[in-house]
Amino acid sequence: MKRNLRFWTRYTWESAGATLSCAAVLAVIALFGAEGLDFGTFATVMPYFLLVSAILMMLMINTGCQTLYVPLLLSMGETRRNVLLGFHYYRALIIAVTLAACALIWLLAPGEVSAIGLRSIPTLLCVLIIASAAGSVMGTLFVKWKWLGMVVIILLCGVAGGTVGFAGAAAGDGLSIAKTADIVAHLIKLPWWLLAAAPVSLGLDIGFQWLLLRRQEVKL
Amino acid sequence: MNERLTEQKSIYLQISEMIETDILREILLEEEQVPSTNELAKLYTINPATAAKGVGLLVDEGILYKRRGIGMFVSRGAREKILAKRRAAFAENHVVPLLAEARSLGISKEELLTMIGERNI
Amino acid sequence: MSLHCENIIKTYSGKDVLQDVTLDLQPGKIYGLIGRNGAGKTTLLSILSAQNPASRGTVTLDGEPVWEHRKSLAKICFSRELNANAESGLASMKAKEYLRIASTYYEDWDKALEERLVKLFDLNVKKKFGKMNKGLLSMITIIVALCSKAPYTFLDEPVAGLDVVARERFYKLLLEEYTGSGRTFVVSTHIIEEAADVLEEVIILHEGRILIEADTQAFVDSAVHVSGKAEEVDAATAGLEAHHPETVGRSKGVTVFLKPGQSVDESYDVSVQPVSLQRAFVALCGEEEAK
Repeated sequence: MKRNLRFWTRYTWESAGATLSCAAVLAVIALFGAEGLDFGTFATVMPYFLLVSAILMMLMINTGCQTLYVPLLLSMGETRRNVLLGFHYYRALIIAVTLAACALIWLLAPGEVSAIGLRSIPTLLCVLIIASAAGSVMGTLFVKWKWLGMVVIILLCGVAGGTVGFAGAAAGDGLSIAKTADIVAHLIKLPWWLLAAAPVSLGLDIGFQWLLLRRQEVKL
Repeated sequence: MNERLTEQKSIYLQISEMIETDILREILLEEEQVPSTNELAKLYTINPATAAKGVGLLVDEGILYKRRGIGMFVSRGAREKILAKRRAAFAENHVVPLLAEARSLGISKEELLTMIGERNI
Repeated sequence: MSLHCENIIKTYSGKDVLQDVTLDLQPGKIYGLIGRNGAGKTTLLSILSAQNPASRGTVTLDGEPVWEHRKSLAKICFSRELNANAESGLASMKAKEYLRIASTYYEDWDKALEERLVKLFDLNVKKKFGKMNKGLLSMITIIVALCSKAPYTFLDEPVAGLDVVARERFYKLLLEEYTGSGRTFVVSTHIIEEAADVLEEVIILHEGRILIEADTQAFVDSAVHVSGKAEEVDAATAGLEAHHPETVGRSKGVTVFLKPGQSVDESYDVSVQPVSLQRAFVALCGEEEAK
C-alpha cells in the first residue's frame, strides 16, 4: 500500500500541474477582454478558471487512468482492491488540493467575489465530485465497451468545447466584476438535488468500477 | 574450451568432452582449476545445471575433483585416465564405422591397410 | 515452496483457451514455455500472475493464494510484451515513466542494473513507446523483468523483436542474473533453437493443454528420428510413440518419443539420429499439417 500511495500522490502533483497550466491558459484568454482590471480583483476571479480547468482535467485524466494506469498497475502486481483505493485516494486528493488552492486565493485576495466564493465551497465540492465520477464512469465504459466510451467522449468534448466557448464569449464582453459576482452568487445556494447527486454519482462510479475491476483482464 | 556446440550430441556430454580434450592437449594442466559451471554456462549460453552435469560426469570418473569453497580442479593422473579411456573406445568409435563403410563400398582389408600405411599419424 | 496452479480452465466466449492446466514451478529454475501462436501461453502467464482471472482453478505461491494477495503478488513479475499501437494508451508514455512506475511497484528493484542495461542497450528513455520499434519495446520488457528481482519472473516472447546479436546478449544476461540470484524464470518463446540450451525445464503448451513438462535434456534425449525403408522403420518402431511421419517413395522418416526403458530395435536396417528441441516440438505440435 505504501508504494501505491507513493505512486498516486506523485500522480496528484502531476495532474495538479496540468490543471494549473490549463487554468493559466483560460485566464490569459480572459485577460485579453479585461483591460483596466487591477490584479487584486482579477485574482478573486482566478479560482473559477482553476475550477473549470479542474473539471475538464478530471473528465480527461480519470478516463485515461481507467484505460491506462489501472491495467498498468495490475500488471505490476498490485491488487485490484489497492488499485481501486489508490485511484480514489488520488481523486479525493486532487479535489481537496483544488478547493484548498481556491480557498487560499480567496482568503489572500478579499473582495466581493471572494466572499461569495468562500461561501459556495460546499456546492463546488459537489460539482467536483460529480465531474470526477463522470470522468471515471466514462473510463469504465471505455474499458468495457470501446464504442460506447467513444460516443460519450465525443459528446463530452462537445460540451467541454461549448463551455470554453461560453467562457470566451463572457470574457469578450469584458470581464465585469459585477456581472461575475452576479453569476457566481447562484453557487452559494446548494440545491438538494446537487447534494444528493454527488454521493449517488460517486456510489454508482465505485460500484460500477469495482464490478469491472474485480474480473478485469490486463491489456496494455 | 572454445569449440562450438553441435546438435548431434547432448550438451552435457559435449561439455565434458571439451574439458577432456583440453586436458589431453594440455590447455588445462593437472592440479589446475577448471572454469566454474557459471563461467561455462555464460561462455556457451547454456543452463548452469547442464554445465554442472557435464562437470559432474568428470568428477564421477575421477578426472576432476572438488576443493570445497574454491572450485573444480584437474586430478593428478587425469591425462593418463583420459588417454586410457579414449584408447579403449577408439576401436568401437572409429575402427568399427570405418570397417562398416569400407565393407559397403567393397574396399578390401588389404586396400584399407595400404591407405593407412601411406599416411602419417 | 513453489508456484502452483491446479486445474486451470479459461474460457473466452465459449471457447476453452486453457483446458485443465496443472503446473508446478519450482524455485531456482529456468523454464521454457513453448507453443505455437494461440496455444495459450500469454493467457497462462497472465493467470499465473493474477493479471487475468481464471474461469476455474486456483493459483498458489508457497501454499498461499496469488489472487488479490499482495504478499504473493510481490514475488511475481510478469513483464508483458508491450504493444504500443495507436489505440493503446501506452503509445504516449515515455520509457522513463514506465520504468519509474515499475521501480515504485517492485519492492527489490535494482536501480544500478537498470542504469547498466539502459546504457548497454543504448536506449533513449525519453522516447515515447509509440515511437519505438518492436526491438526497443522488447528491451524495455527485458529490463523490467531483470531489474524487478522478483523470485518468479515471467517473460513473454522477450526476444521476438530482437536481432540475433541482441538475442544472444539477452540469454547471457538472463543466465548472469539467474546464476547470481537463483530466481525462477519462465520464458515463453517460439524461437526455440537458440533458447534450448538455456532452458532447464521445458513446458510444451498445445491447444490449451500441457503436452510435456520435463527436463529439457531428458526430453530431447528421449526423442529420436528413425528413417529408412518404410517397412523396416515400421518394424523397428512397432509399439513406440511415433509422430510426424514423412514419406518419400519407399523411404520413411518418423520421430519417436521413447519412454524410460524403451529403445528403437536397431537390428533392422534403419538410421537413428538425435533430434533437436525444435524438431521434437514440431513433431509433437505440427501433426495436423502432416495428416
